[in-house]
Amino acid sequence: MAASPFASRSPSVAVTSPNTLRLKASGGTASKPTPMPDQELTEQLNAEVRQKYVKDKKLGEGTYAVVYLGHLRDDPSSFVAIKKIKVNAEYKDGLTMDAIREVKYLQELSHPNVIALHDVFSSKDQNLSLVLEFLPRGDLEMLIKDGDIQYGAADIKAWMGMLARGVWFCHENFVLHRDIKPNNLLVASDGEVKLADFGLARSFADPYLNMTHQVITRWYRPPELLYGARQYSGAVDVWSMGMVFAELLLRVPFVAGNTDLDQTSKICEAFGTPTEDNWPGVTQLPNYIPTDPAHRVPLQGRDFFLRQFPTAGPVGADLLMSMCALDPRKRSTAVQVLRHNWWTMDPQPTRNEDLPRKTGTKKMGEDLSRRGGEIDDGPFKNAARQLDFGAMK
Amino acid sequence: MIEDDIYRTSSQFRLWSYTRPALASLRTKTNDIASERVRAALQRARPAQQSTTPSAAGTPQPGSDGETKKPEEKQIECLTPEEELILVRYYCEKTLELGETYKPPLPTMVRATAIQYLHRFYLTNSPMTYHPKSIMACALFLATKTDNYYMSLRQFADGIPGETSTDDVISPEFLLMQGLRFTFDVRHPFRGLEGGVMELQAIAQGQAPPAPHIPNQTAQNLLQKLKSIAPPPIPSSSINDRIARAHGTTRETLKTAAQMTDAYFLYTPSQIWLSAFLLADKPLAEFYLDTKLGGPLTETIPDGDAMETDLKNPLYELRTKLFKVLTECSALLGAYTTLSSDPDQMKGLKRIAKKLYHCQNPEKINLKRDSGQPAVAGAADSGQVTSESESERLAKKRKLELEQKARSGASDMFGPELVAERTKQ
Repeated sequence: MAASPFASRSPSVAVTSPNTLRLKASGGTASKPTPMPDQELTEQLNAEVRQKYVKDKKLGEGTYAVVYLGHLRDDPSSFVAIKKIKVNAEYKDGLTMDAIREVKYLQELSHPNVIALHDVFSSKDQNLSLVLEFLPRGDLEMLIKDGDIQYGAADIKAWMGMLARGVWFCHENFVLHRDIKPNNLLVASDGEVKLADFGLARSFADPYLNMTHQVITRWYRPPELLYGARQYSGAVDVWSMGMVFAELLLRVPFVAGNTDLDQTSKICEAFGTPTEDNWPGVTQLPNYIPTDPAHRVPLQGRDFFLRQFPTAGPVGADLLMSMCALDPRKRSTAVQVLRHNWWTMDPQPTRNEDLPRKTGTKKMGEDLSRRGGEIDDGPFKNAARQLDFGAMK
Repeated sequence: MIEDDIYRTSSQFRLWSYTRPALASLRTKTNDIASERVRAALQRARPAQQSTTPSAAGTPQPGSDGETKKPEEKQIECLTPEEELILVRYYCEKTLELGETYKPPLPTMVRATAIQYLHRFYLTNSPMTYHPKSIMACALFLATKTDNYYMSLRQFADGIPGETSTDDVISPEFLLMQGLRFTFDVRHPFRGLEGGVMELQAIAQGQAPPAPHIPNQTAQNLLQKLKSIAPPPIPSSSINDRIARAHGTTRETLKTAAQMTDAYFLYTPSQIWLSAFLLADKPLAEFYLDTKLGGPLTETIPDGDAMETDLKNPLYELRTKLFKVLTECSALLGAYTTLSSDPDQMKGLKRIAKKLYHCQNPEKINLKRDSGQPAVAGAADSGQVTSESESERLAKKRKLELEQKARSGASDMFGPELVAERTKQ
């Protein structure tokens, strides 16, 4: 797929002067015939955007999109990822919700730790193309999985810091991401971590309005969503962030259920059984499952987190614990996470240029073409299943 | 990071905020381009139509040919930008009504988003090219998707009075999104109003925290001041009653005048709700602003002995600037009356609709996605590529449609009040 799709375009369409918009229209009464504008204004604007980029090779293809490497026509060294959304033949109601959400929110969010959407344009077959920041160094999941890569507490602090700032920014803009997990955290060429895949994102709902609980990839899904809560907050993303933190420390997913039910019970085993005492109102949630009082696990305290995550240090373990509170009202908010004193104490976070790296152009293609909530089926998944949480106590 | 900084990164600010002259010139430009293309398209359609008549023996009622040809022979009169604006406004009002017909009615926010989509779409598209009637349902459906009010396309189409297929609703979606420049987020003034009203209620209960820039404020003196402001336009039984009344009136203005006018293009959401609030209850709104910005300069000069420089409200200039903007915006909102409730405006609208009937671009009527020739962004759009047979086909189709219309009378989505119009098939 090295051919540029633009090369074949009619030369009459501004290829000779890609950056000049021909908006002038004559009054039509002049004696000399003036050239007629060959497109409506809105189409001219779209063509202008499309002409800015050249598509190069295909990076990856998934259920939802095809991702190409591309560059600015004016500057061959400026790389971009062009994500062409596939038309979903089964969905008859127009553009799919994931595409709408992704475009809607990325158009509004501009932050160093959120993937940048440079442009959106349409091609003549009515496909939508998103021009995204090119992030060639893979994702955090790759780094976690790769046994050849060594990393330590300072690296984790750097990555978590970037994640926390990205999540804070989303929440500050009243946007819930709802699919935070290591393979949605992409790494830029300078080592910066960027939150990607906004296919499940939405704005905070007005008070008392319901949202769906079928969001967030299972292993990163908080207990309130597993219990079917329809009104929730940024706390859902903070839980996912906590799970990413734990996974960075352990290098395996911390709670990895095979089913939603299994996920709930694994969370209970790991962190404690939710009760009206430690989480007022939990028994009223739609999908709450009553527990056998004989098998209740007490709420885990600081000691547990320290024992379980020794590399985090006592302060790091305290931060992690605050992100994993079962009761979403007791969980840290994104601002509180950023204000924690773990960030300012030793070890200092690794500078971006010194972070462990891996090249992964192809991976970005895969990451961006997946549908929200999908899990990669890899050897890692099986490894996670073998985790024995009973032995950890 | 302050709220203004966040607002300035929004697509609403970056792409959809204009000064009045910039807005006017963009509309003129859009109108110029569309007019020229309409004339050219009708020109192309004319010889085709003449040549088909003798050969097309099967064409029903060849006798009517003379009538349909006539208006095209004289110079085609296109809509002016002002006429286009009135037409679009009418369909914005219709969008509000359409949302009301659902059970339960679509949320105000969804309808408001759809209306803003229409306004934005018609900044770079002309009603002569795409009739608002064929775009409005699609805009409303798109808004249900972007504003998280899920309903299926089938369910949505069934809720539209009259015969509307799912295809009628969805076919212009891509075109619409292109016109929106793929920005779906609309920042509304409704949430700001709710926040302001909650603050006023807190003051009325003597529980308000002081404003950040005015440290000597206390809950008590705020309550005292609130009690001493000038009476409301309509007498009310209590402060709470007064706040509730102003709240209701403001909400209504935000639902109507703020949606139908250019307010969103010219002002920020907070400027819009504050302006609407000023219209509803001026003394109350001014009191609210003074809790944030301090009073006017004169009020801060007591008879006492302090130096005048100490007494100047440090936010005086900001306050003056803001009041100027709010006054302008209030005037815009206050001048609005619904088209359909005003017989004179309706008369003008009918004239425009008639005129549009003769200057609708015949090549853009079929928006169907599966119609071989994509209506959008395709090569078929550039005049040179459109084959002779294609324009012939379109001309024929148009004529047939006219005749069908004439026979069946206008059984339009929203009744016959706008004379018989050409609808998309």
